[in-house]
Amino acid sequence: MHVGLLRFVLLRLLQLVPVTIIVIVINFLLLHLAPGDISTTLAGDNADPAYLAMIRESYGLDRPFHEQLWRYLVQIGSGDMGVSFRSREPVFDEIMLRVPATLLLVGTSLVLSVVVGTSIGTWIARRPGSTLDSGISALAVGLFSIPVFWLGLMLVLLFAVRLQILPAMGMTSVDGPREGIGRVMDVATHMVLPVLALMTVSLGQYVRLARSAVAEVMGESYITTVRAIGFSERTIMMHYALRNALLPVVTVLGLQLGLVLTGAVLTETVFSWPGLGRLIYDAILARDTPVIMGSFIIMSATVAIASLVTDLLYAVIDPRVGLK
Amino acid sequence: MLGLVRVLSGRIALVLSMIIVGLAVFAAIAAPWLPIADPNAMDAMPYTPPGAEHWLGTDNYGRDVLSRIVWGARLALLVALISSAIASFLGIVLGSISGYFGGLIDTVLSRTFDVFLLIPSFFLVLLIVALFGSRIEFTMVAIALTTWPRSARIMRAQVLSLKSRVYVQAAKAAGASHARTLIRHIIPNGLAPIITDATILMGLAVLTEAGLSFLGLGDQNAVSWGRMIFDGQRELRLAPWMSIFPGVSLLLLVAAFNLLGDGLNEALNPQLRRLTTRAAQKPTCELVPTVPEPDAPILRVSNLRMAYDLGSNSIAPVDGVSFTLQRGDSLGVVGESGCGKSSLGAAILQVMAPNARMTDGDIDLAGAPILRDGCRVVHNGRDSLASLRWTKAAIIFQSAMNALNPVMKVGDQLIEAFLLHRTDANRDAAMQRVVAVFDLIGVPRARMGSYPHELSGGMRQRVMIALSLLHEPELLVADEPTTALDVLVQDQILGEIDALKKQMGLSLILISHDMGAVAETCRRVAVMYAGEIIEIAPTETIFGYARHPYTQALLAALPTVSGEKRLPKTLPGEPVNMAEPMTACRFAPRCEKAADICRTTRPPRVDVAPEHEALCHFAGLVRT
Repeated sequence: MHVGLLRFVLLRLLQLVPVTIIVIVINFLLLHLAPGDISTTLAGDNADPAYLAMIRESYGLDRPFHEQLWRYLVQIGSGDMGVSFRSREPVFDEIMLRVPATLLLVGTSLVLSVVVGTSIGTWIARRPGSTLDSGISALAVGLFSIPVFWLGLMLVLLFAVRLQILPAMGMTSVDGPREGIGRVMDVATHMVLPVLALMTVSLGQYVRLARSAVAEVMGESYITTVRAIGFSERTIMMHYALRNALLPVVTVLGLQLGLVLTGAVLTETVFSWPGLGRLIYDAILARDTPVIMGSFIIMSATVAIASLVTDLLYAVIDPRVGLK
Repeated sequence: MLGLVRVLSGRIALVLSMIIVGLAVFAAIAAPWLPIADPNAMDAMPYTPPGAEHWLGTDNYGRDVLSRIVWGARLALLVALISSAIASFLGIVLGSISGYFGGLIDTVLSRTFDVFLLIPSFFLVLLIVALFGSRIEFTMVAIALTTWPRSARIMRAQVLSLKSRVYVQAAKAAGASHARTLIRHIIPNGLAPIITDATILMGLAVLTEAGLSFLGLGDQNAVSWGRMIFDGQRELRLAPWMSIFPGVSLLLLVAAFNLLGDGLNEALNPQLRRLTTRAAQKPTCELVPTVPEPDAPILRVSNLRMAYDLGSNSIAPVDGVSFTLQRGDSLGVVGESGCGKSSLGAAILQVMAPNARMTDGDIDLAGAPILRDGCRVVHNGRDSLASLRWTKAAIIFQSAMNALNPVMKVGDQLIEAFLLHRTDANRDAAMQRVVAVFDLIGVPRARMGSYPHELSGGMRQRVMIALSLLHEPELLVADEPTTALDVLVQDQILGEIDALKKQMGLSLILISHDMGAVAETCRRVAVMYAGEIIEIAPTETIFGYARHPYTQALLAALPTVSGEKRLPKTLPGEPVNMAEPMTACRFAPRCEKAADICRTTRPPRVDVAPEHEALCHFAGLVRT
């Protein structure tokens, strides 16, 4: 059995390779198809001639096409994503510097939306077809139809502008404490609104998923068995149905990470959160192409790895995986 | 048209979403002729709040917000339509090629879909627009290029299931080319889920365009809701209406697309809705607990009736069933599929489907009342059956694959079931008990650590039986325990059940369509037809002196090993529709011996002999 699982893990790890290569190739092709000279696209409009020459040299722009592609693959693969022409720092370092803030934001809202969404979904699945169920299910569709950046603005309008009880932007106060519990509280206060915005838009998905999964599982015959044995409805729901219903939730968790990262970029823009999203936004404003390309690669790799982790998680929850 | 009305009735969300999309389409088309201001005219007072002059206020340049929202609908719908059309088209073409040709083409293409699905589309769109410029055409193509794998995967699955259909094979046999087969016969029949998903794609496209515009990557020459929110952001304190109203429009349109997709999906797949019916149960009744008589029969069922709610109508799978089972006795319940035998088994332990409800009748288990006039009996708010479950009565189900939890080791499932009713015991004691029942039924102890899917069918069914024996119940209800197994294993399992019955003094109800299995294991047999027990008698009597024509027909359908060679006799006609009320003998339409009285009057219950009853006008007279 463990051999099967190991093979499964290795196979999935191998699948990361084509995704990464395709993403890098897409980058390369777009760069060549884009109007204008590649060296100026990568170096900025008013770069000095020496720097332009260096770019041409390192990307091999005077070489044949396939050699350029190979150089590009090797270069990106080794983590060299060029230099931001806004900050003159290597793109990779710039991105890594911003990852923790984004991770904090995305991680918190993801955990909250999964936990809250699954709980609500499970709760309404007890009475499928009831008014409460249809009401909340329709509301859930409403939730994931909200443009996250607009929701962020509305939250700012209500809590920061009108009620003035929560900060509207940044991760810390200018004059806030620099360390200890005070700093934690300061960051936590700044997190409330962006997390609320990001969490709300993905909440609906999990409500609906958990609802339909639980409702379906409750109709399975093994649930009839535990009912006949005499387990209480509560135990059946929490212990038997929920665990089986978590399978689709986990699957979607991995598949939706791309959307959550999208939401994060937009949310960070609204709240001036110093993460990756903000970096991308600033790069767009400055037409800082290397940073935009580097972010695309890193985001794609993150999503691919997340889907791998999801599959592994799935294998842990469901013993049938990897043994077809 | 009538079909559309039927689909729409009772679906407020679907109707609302169609109205919203309709309004948006109207606004988009009619914008130039509507009596509204020029969306780009800067001739009003900047920052005018919503009021009579400007219903939704004006922005920082003095442009009318309402007019810009109406014109913005144009862009939103254009993006929605064009990008989802391109994406669906690409998806249909590549998905059907992949599914139709299979082999290497399919491997390469479906891997490509998988890889593209992993690429976070918004960032690719962002990159494309950043490199190629903020033109709406680029945005639409970019959105389509990142969403087509969704449609491709759906189309591939559709084609895979359609290509083996008879009419497709017939078209190919008649010499149709691949292209013609695909375009004429396969794609049109597989389009429905693509169209459903396209509405979801539309919502996604609208949100993506708005997000891009909000990041400043929108087309500068078009009025976009996302762009309006971007502009409004800086004026949030001064003119909140600048961002509130375009956001509400976005929300409504995207929600409408999503609800539309949902509604279409439900309308096309009615089975999605079937989950959502739950029958209203009769109120429970409180009875003062009495000390059960020690020699009461293990099970007494009288006049039991239940109904399944199926949308607007209901059927009665169990319709006035009465019988008594003495301790240590065994009863086989036989009949065709749909005669209500499994429903009867489920009713005894009150584990019916959610859309089932008890309508009448009494059940007494081990002398304790658990059902009175169709109402569940409770003591102090607790079901009186609750304390009897698994300790007095257990049930095993037809398919042990599905009757055991697939994600739990079988040993753990048994341990938990043991501990539930033995709160005084610890895990070690539970483990010992599980080992004991495993030994009893012939499951190797090492199997405790296995998951159900790792066991053979026969072994799973043994685990299921072991589970039922944990608390040494007095009554075992076995619902088709051997149906899914091969003949040899069937015999072994039946033999084991029979041995257990003798060894443990079990009372047994064996529900089966297999007369032979019942004959081997049970002392008495009840034959069910259309929700009723039409004949009940000791096994030898049923096999030798059956009085009901239906029983006789069932027996005649059995192949014989010895004796004269003849074809098994089949029964003409279909079992009756149980939705119809009963005014005659239910078997009359199929009965060879039916007379006029059978079609007008319900047959009485005739006592043929001690322990032998039949529900037939002629039970007392007919001799075969």
